[in-house]
Amino acid sequence: MPYVVILFPSTHYAIRAEKMAKGSGFTVKLIPVPRHLSSDCGVCLRCSSDQKEPLECLLQQEGIKIEGIHFLSD
Amino acid sequence: MKEIDCRGLACPQPVLTTKKALEESPQGKLMVIVDNLAARDNVERFAQSQGASVSVEKKGNDFYLTIEKGGTCDLASSPQKAEKVVVYINSNLMGVGDEALGTTLMRSFLHVLSEMETRPSTLVFINSGVRLTTEGSMVLEDLEALSKKGVIILSCGTCLDFYGLKEKLKVGVISNMYDIAKTLFEADRLIRP
Repeated sequence: MPYVVILFPSTHYAIRAEKMAKGSGFTVKLIPVPRHLSSDCGVCLRCSSDQKEPLECLLQQEGIKIEGIHFLSD
Repeated sequence: MKEIDCRGLACPQPVLTTKKALEESPQGKLMVIVDNLAARDNVERFAQSQGASVSVEKKGNDFYLTIEKGGTCDLASSPQKAEKVVVYINSNLMGVGDEALGTTLMRSFLHVLSEMETRPSTLVFINSGVRLTTEGSMVLEDLEALSKKGVIILSCGTCLDFYGLKEKLKVGVISNMYDIAKTLFEADRLIRP
């Protein structure tokens, strides 16, 4: 299944984003940022690519800063 | 390529024959022919445990397994002597500090563990660590993946009982202090995240 990962400028944003996404019924998983995307020890949100648009929308509405969205060929 | 016909041989002959052939040609490519599912699986598992790659082709009622040895792995130092790595998880949090952060870090750790090629032999969950193996845990998916790969997952029974989680265990088995102490003592390496 194709996945996307959503990166945030801080861990706090990532944790908040997860809470909101789950609260709104999205299936997401908080995972470490894949090594090829960043060497920082950060976490990001992973979701199936079909959830990307609505989830992005939700996070923007809630004022969560998104640093980047990447497709994973998993 | 050397060909070994194990059709008609009873268990465990196909595995033993394969073992001998692999020892004789440590770098080589090998074709093993078997005529039943159990032999196919056993030979495949054995070859993989020796660091070889295996591809299987079915021809009629027979299975042709092509076994290719990885270059660096030598038989003498392989699985039976594999290092026992035990991961001792004595809290549902990783590190000391903020709880939300500790939860996040533990989840990250177990996720990475489930994706790593080197696997621990056992995970031991103690005290609030048992929150990770029971209903409502956010790492069940990763623990199940580890369990499927053969990692033993032990949850302390006293701890499950104390937290009222005994009926809610979702992955691995309930263990006791005898087994846990033995596991810790017999470990070659102990990891405490």
